[in-house]
Amino acid sequence: MSIRWQRLLVAGCLIAAPTTVGTAPETTPTPSREFLNTYCVTCHNQRAKAGGLMLDTLDVTNVAAAAPTWEKAVVKLRAGLMPPAGARRPPQAAIDGFAGSLEAALDRAAEAHPNPGRTEPFHRLNRAEYQNAIRDILSLEIDAGALLPADEVSYGFDNIAGVLKLSPLLTERYLNAAQKVARLALGTPAPPSGDLYRVPDQLDQDVRLEGMPPGTRGGIRIDYFVPRAGEYDIKARIGRGIDYDIPHFIGEQTLEISVDGERVRMFTLPATPDDDLNIERQVFRAPGTARPRNVRVDANGDAIPDEAALKRRTLDDNWAFRIPLQAGTHEIRATFLMKTDAVSEGFRKPFLKPYIGRGPTDARETREGASLRSLEIMGPLNPGGPGESQSHKRVYVCHPASAQGSGEASPARAGEAACAKTILTKLARRAYRRPVTEGDLKTLLDFYGAGRTAGNFDTGIELALQRILVSPSFLFRTEFTPVNVAGTDVYRISDIELASRLSFFLWSSVPDDELLDLAVQSKLHEPAVLERQARRMLADSRSQAFTANFAGQWLSLRRLPDIVPDPFLFPDYGDTLALAFQKESELFFDSVVREDRPASDLLDARYTFVNERLAEHYGIPNVKGVNFRRVELADDSPRRGLLGKGSVLTITALPNRTSPVVRGKWVLQNILGAPPPDPPPNVPALEENGNQISKTRTTRERLEAHRANGVCASCHKLMDPIGFALENFDAVGKYRQFDENYQPIDNSGVYADGSRIDGLTGLRQVLMNHSPQFLANLTNTLMTYALGRGVEYYDAPAVRAILRDAAPQHHRLSSLIVGVVSSTPFQMRRVES
Amino acid sequence: MIVTKRKLSRRTVLRGFGVSLALPLLDAMVPALAGTSAAANAAAKPVHRYGFYYMPNGVAMNHTGTNYWKPTTVGADFEFSQILKPLEPFRKQVTVVSGLHNRSAESLGDGNGDHTRSTGSWLTGTHIKRTEGSDLRAGISVDQIVASQFRKDTPLPSLELAILPNSVTGGCDTGYSCAYGTTLSWASPTTPLPTQSSPRLVFEQLFGDGGPSSAQLAAARTKNSILDSAIQEMASLRTRLGAKDRSTVADYLDVLREVERRIQQTEEKNSMSPLPEYERPGIGVPERFDDHAKLMFDLQCLAFQGDITRVTTFMYGAEQRARMYPEIGLNESHHSMSHHGDSPENMIKYAKLCTWHVDLFAYLIEKMKNTPDGDGSLLDHSTMMIGGGMSNGNIHSHMDVPIVLVGGAGGIKGNRHVAAPMGTPLSNLHVSLVNRVGVPVESFGDSTGVLDLDAVPARAPSSV
Repeated sequence: MSIRWQRLLVAGCLIAAPTTVGTAPETTPTPSREFLNTYCVTCHNQRAKAGGLMLDTLDVTNVAAAAPTWEKAVVKLRAGLMPPAGARRPPQAAIDGFAGSLEAALDRAAEAHPNPGRTEPFHRLNRAEYQNAIRDILSLEIDAGALLPADEVSYGFDNIAGVLKLSPLLTERYLNAAQKVARLALGTPAPPSGDLYRVPDQLDQDVRLEGMPPGTRGGIRIDYFVPRAGEYDIKARIGRGIDYDIPHFIGEQTLEISVDGERVRMFTLPATPDDDLNIERQVFRAPGTARPRNVRVDANGDAIPDEAALKRRTLDDNWAFRIPLQAGTHEIRATFLMKTDAVSEGFRKPFLKPYIGRGPTDARETREGASLRSLEIMGPLNPGGPGESQSHKRVYVCHPASAQGSGEASPARAGEAACAKTILTKLARRAYRRPVTEGDLKTLLDFYGAGRTAGNFDTGIELALQRILVSPSFLFRTEFTPVNVAGTDVYRISDIELASRLSFFLWSSVPDDELLDLAVQSKLHEPAVLERQARRMLADSRSQAFTANFAGQWLSLRRLPDIVPDPFLFPDYGDTLALAFQKESELFFDSVVREDRPASDLLDARYTFVNERLAEHYGIPNVKGVNFRRVELADDSPRRGLLGKGSVLTITALPNRTSPVVRGKWVLQNILGAPPPDPPPNVPALEENGNQISKTRTTRERLEAHRANGVCASCHKLMDPIGFALENFDAVGKYRQFDENYQPIDNSGVYADGSRIDGLTGLRQVLMNHSPQFLANLTNTLMTYALGRGVEYYDAPAVRAILRDAAPQHHRLSSLIVGVVSSTPFQMRRVES
Repeated sequence: MIVTKRKLSRRTVLRGFGVSLALPLLDAMVPALAGTSAAANAAAKPVHRYGFYYMPNGVAMNHTGTNYWKPTTVGADFEFSQILKPLEPFRKQVTVVSGLHNRSAESLGDGNGDHTRSTGSWLTGTHIKRTEGSDLRAGISVDQIVASQFRKDTPLPSLELAILPNSVTGGCDTGYSCAYGTTLSWASPTTPLPTQSSPRLVFEQLFGDGGPSSAQLAAARTKNSILDSAIQEMASLRTRLGAKDRSTVADYLDVLREVERRIQQTEEKNSMSPLPEYERPGIGVPERFDDHAKLMFDLQCLAFQGDITRVTTFMYGAEQRARMYPEIGLNESHHSMSHHGDSPENMIKYAKLCTWHVDLFAYLIEKMKNTPDGDGSLLDHSTMMIGGGMSNGNIHSHMDVPIVLVGGAGGIKGNRHVAAPMGTPLSNLHVSLVNRVGVPVESFGDSTGVLDLDAVPARAPSSV
């Protein structure tokens, strides 16, 4: 596309007075040839070939013949791009009518000859799906992040079939994971293994954490799965300073370790003697500078090891103990005793972040008390009998009578084989997400037999389970063209395939028995059944995966842990706040799903979720405690909707300042579905204010070049005003009246379609006025996530239908989702071309 | 290179390279001799191993008059300097190289970031892209080019180890992503290879659960039988697909078979020469720096011994870190010690640290010397490089960076101090190293030619 068209596409995308996409047009049954000839063909003809488009040769009574072109025309018309500025322009109603009739014709053609697109025949499970599948099949919680490498991302999501490939590394990991998972689930004897649980460094451990008892602070809480009863070693390690030393603290620090709510051990870090602390200034010394230590040298001038310093590092060496644990999941907590709630009367109020400093050599310990760095748990040592964890119980739906010493052909052995068949059939059905075939069973029973011969019944089951977890039928969702559809070019996918599409869409996991049963009975595709199931799945707690994975990626929440704002400028930003941002956004999105709210609530809901830390950041008074609770927001509250969320605001900022451009682009792309093109190369960096003595400029003034230069302005006049409206939020989402240069913030602007933006409320209003674009974008994004492929021109009729059908229900999120699963692309598939 | 029973396709080898090269006819492309036994294989031409060891923040140089890093004499039978003294027992296989310029670490208009750039260009000869985002860009590193040569012969192409903390508190050079500072190896210009610091995880990667080799063998066999069955299942699915989709499955089958090959290879190597029993390390990381380093070196040596990999890199730390070393009485942070300000007392302290690092390196060299390998020792068949991306860390100089090569492989003559003309690009050395493993590259990164390690200038090197 030439530069001119690119500019116009973006410039015009939001200029048009908003119309509802897909409203039933009061138009002629076929698009008007006369309209085309009057307003379009003057440029788009065989001679002029404007934009490479020749509308004089296209037959408007047969839109199906050139659907990609006509769909593009619809986009341009609805966006107000065509006819272009300067050309002869009909009244808006005529444009809407023509566009509407085009859409109707395209929809009719799509109905006659649906094109559902083609999903990949092999769609590999991603990491999150693997983890959830294991949870649902084996009742076993694992951390797939520790077992498998990260997935490739495309179209903003990590569940796009086209880029989820198999590599040698991944294959090896699958093999290792299968072995590990099978062992854990069955509690079979294995060498003792260990797990290291690390507490994030920038987490504030001077306060009580979620899930911890009152009177404690910091630490970690683990739901530890014990596959096999036995003794376990637990070792705690205190947080080190940046130089590997244990810092000094006033007073003793006592760590309590508890299992299932009962205290099992306490460890104490002795208080640092007074003369090692700089008491006068009431400031904690930087680590390792407690007392100036000169290098002591011996007769040869060689430095003598500093035993005192080394000894300090070993103060927690013996913070370890051994404890017997039964099979199953145990709650293990390690947390410090809170010595006092009194406000510490230091020289100044401590920052809310443990380390301050710009470089690694620069850090100052600001914690008031010791922190926990990690907890290691290793075992089982001296294991006891076979584990009876919940996973084990889940797998062993029958038990073989003991057949030790019986011959191969004995009835006891036969009983074992029968039980093995029962167990493996059940496991394979859930894992493969379809009825189990004779061939499947033969393979699994062969492996069972080999394992049984080498060991006992348990080893046989374990080997067969390993085989299941490496099967292509488990690791991939498969969709193959059935043999009996030759001659037609599209077909309805099977109910079995539909069940998987549904469960991976809404649960990021395998279908449950209810879905599979309906699929086997070929009832799942019936509209009433399908809708009922979709709603059931949304109400189920497993739909939290939908919030975490869909919303998490759509709103770029996954980038949050990588954001490191400048520690000097934002000394209160740490892991505590980042985690709170994440939680708030997830709870918010989840509420819109679960409470069946209109999708537009995402932009302007009158509530949000906060805990004490977040409330303090937002300036919301009277919120105490670490737990999240819903708070109502005033009409003019800046926190309403996604654009008031700390997560979004922080992700769209730079480490040391806000960027109206980044924020504007994010809104255009993620909310309105109209991303601007990339900037041209060699754009110079923004001039810093540093050397200006006479006048510091506001960010708006510094971005003046965007408006002065015509080429820049074409895109920037869309992005910048949105970003300026958000300038009242600093780079970590805190509300402010003055910017980084202490200038008052001017958050007004002129929007692309000419309307004024008056600050945040104004921006929200403008976005609400463009809700058709927002809803279309949301639907397209949902489709991408649901199908695991990018959305194309032939999906447009389906998207229009979804929006039409959801309109009477105010576009509740649930109605959009039901629309997606009922749509042609979701229920059908093209035959390979 | 061991002549194997497998015939490598040119296409397979090319796939392993990130740069386009004119390939020679590699030995392995010639159909293998029929009837070669495993024993004959072992006695055949031994394999060439490479190790790269990185010291951050520069070293104590000689500019204040004391002979710290660089030997004052040039050529054969040079006199070992203070810091390099621990390597004297291995003189016959030690080549000190001086005068090299880590050019791409200079700012070249990008402003601050000498530390980060030092690391990024040490093995890549590339000026890394200044970014804090995820669009990192460097260049393929020399160890990866070497690793590509052996891709088909070892289960693990390369092993990247380091002594680094898990987290980076406090940040890195402004303008550069922290990932640059903790990465020596790049599989492609945009693929940094992460390092591992946990001896336990490294052990598991190399040896699985460990234990006696009979148990490892059994585990490998089980894995392969499961994998084989999965391959059959995948192949049978293929018959239900149309032509276009079959090629996707063909790719998957290739991948599965490649893994099968690797597992088989591990099995073969294990049964040919089982490794000494080695206890699986505990989960945590040793407190003492020297304990940690020695453990990592033990594992690297084992990996070479078992031919699990032939290429390894190691970082003594990342640039700018504040680690202190009370083990040797140094209670000042590493970075701050490197900014000695030319004061004699500070130089003594920093030289002490550098010497200790070289001493630990000597531990590894000694171990490799005492490990039999074919008709000689592991050290005879290796090229181990120790050095750093900066010379005088106090002024962040990238000129005359410290480099020492130890080992008998590749035809590198030992017992020499090679003083390259001052300002010779470091990457000229990399070209030479890559050539010596059989890849006739003519340029690499910012190189201007090949460093001729056999040339010995007749004059003493100019002082820095």
